Amino acid sequence: MDENLKKRILIIEDDEYLRDLYMEILTAEGFMVDQAVDGEEGYQAVTRGGYDLVLLDIMLPKKDGIAILRDLAQNPPEGKNKVIVVLSNLGQESVIAEAVKLGARGYMIKSEMTPEQTVNEVKRYLAEST
Amino acid sequence: MNNNHTTTPQSKQTIDSLWRLEKIILDTLNFKDVVQRICDSVLSELGYLQLGYRIVVLALIDESTNVLKRISISQTPEAQKALEITPVPFQNIDIPMNYSENICIKAIEESKPYVTHDWKDILLPSYNNEEARKIQEIIGIHTSVVYPITYHGKSRGVMIFSMVKSEEEMSEEEKDLIRGYTDVVGIAVQNARLYSDLEETSKRLDEANKKLKELDKLKDEFVSLASHELRTPMTAVKSYTWLVLNNKSGEITPKTREHLEKVYNSTERLIHLVNEMLDISRIEGGRVQLKLEALDLVQLAREVKDEFAPRASEQNLVMEIETDGKISPAAGDRDKIHQVLVNLVGNSFKFTQSGGRVSISVRLKDNMVEVGIEDTGIGIAKEDQERIFQKFGRVEGSLVISKIGGTGLGLYLSKQYIEMHGGKIWFESEPGKGSTFTFSLPLYTGN
Repeated sequence: MDENLKKRILIIEDDEYLRDLYMEILTAEGFMVDQAVDGEEGYQAVTRGGYDLVLLDIMLPKKDGIAILRDLAQNPPEGKNKVIVVLSNLGQESVIAEAVKLGARGYMIKSEMTPEQTVNEVKRYLAEST
Repeated sequence: MNNNHTTTPQSKQTIDSLWRLEKIILDTLNFKDVVQRICDSVLSELGYLQLGYRIVVLALIDESTNVLKRISISQTPEAQKALEITPVPFQNIDIPMNYSENICIKAIEESKPYVTHDWKDILLPSYNNEEARKIQEIIGIHTSVVYPITYHGKSRGVMIFSMVKSEEEMSEEEKDLIRGYTDVVGIAVQNARLYSDLEETSKRLDEANKKLKELDKLKDEFVSLASHELRTPMTAVKSYTWLVLNNKSGEITPKTREHLEKVYNSTERLIHLVNEMLDISRIEGGRVQLKLEALDLVQLAREVKDEFAPRASEQNLVMEIETDGKISPAAGDRDKIHQVLVNLVGNSFKFTQSGGRVSISVRLKDNMVEVGIEDTGIGIAKEDQERIFQKFGRVEGSLVISKIGGTGLGLYLSKQYIEMHGGKIWFESEPGKGSTFTFSLPLYTGN
């Protein structure tokens, strides 16, 4: 728990209920969690950098997740983000492949996960990156 | 004039000339080009202009309107002049097929050539006597010969050769050549027509195909978007229900738990259904690409057995894997074959009573790897057996409300995936005793 307190996570998610859900289950674990409600807000936050983990949705208003990854790849922010993981309900293999090519570490399909599995995956990605 | 125009002996020179003409008009299949060349080549290639020929016209029967239609005219100065001063546009000179005062119609009806010194004979009723005479005078045509064009023994139209000389001045060689030529023209016109029809048809098919592809793409985009939109609220329902069921919002009563478990399971089923519909849309649109690898099916069967272990103990079922010796790898897409196995084993779990057995066998047979999933369940009723692989071909009598499943799409999807691999899927079942579903996959050969 103490370790978790120092970990900073950014959630870029436009659906309010899902944003609330991820906030709730991750803060309950002691993580410091920021949230962005659309692609533009998400991109701004992510370029400020310094996150241990970014959970990135793909279908987002204003700027989609693939565009965010592409822009990040072209202009890497000064304060680096350690890991970006896609958390989306879009399951097309082509989109997954594209996201991974652009630097996403992994891909989670929201509807296939229980809250417990999501938390476990988040912990696993954080452990990998330290 | 010799009426029997098909058996006239032809000199070597005529045959050579004919061969040259044939080459020119058969060189293209475009209908417009062919009919233009038919009129021009006698004059330009064989120098018939010097022999007094001035205008060559091709007219064909339009079967839909039953008229003889002017199709093409030679590109000679006399023809141009005639086109300029004609009272009726060339394309509108239509002779009704029952108008036998016109010698073109007679030539067709009787399959023999006709000759005239009077243009009204070839222009009535489109022109009146006076108009025909006047134009003929201005152009200075003395004689016109009309030859029928036949193909497959049927008259298709005529060629009209108009010249400044008299019929008597036509040599036997000229007549010979024209007879031979009109025979070839019949074939050329028919070929070009067929080709143009074909071209038109294939153009239309191309357009239709393009439209269908666009529609298919739209459908794919729609299904993909719809499934995304459906999954989002379903994820919220599933996740919040999970939180409540796991006491994250405080203790709940057993009755609340029982009800919420049904909410949770139903949501899982919905998610599963959306996934399968998306899969089917991709398969049916031909957008599924298999990632074939050397697949160890015994290993895959073990993994699936492990995945089902909690359910096996929950439902008190024995799970086994049977195999004889070392099994060569099959050529399979890991994710898809995993999905098929989970589906088939899941079905067995749904239809097998407590204390029963589900076994997976992996065997080599006829250069294929055969995987059988056998259960001691309730079996499949005879009346249900036919539609088991159809979409929503679900049978009644599921014993357990499954955590996942019951969409009625699983077997259909499994069949599609197996057949995409070049394999087969089938089953044997005896009501009351159990079922065995078997699928086969080709061996991995490295390609």
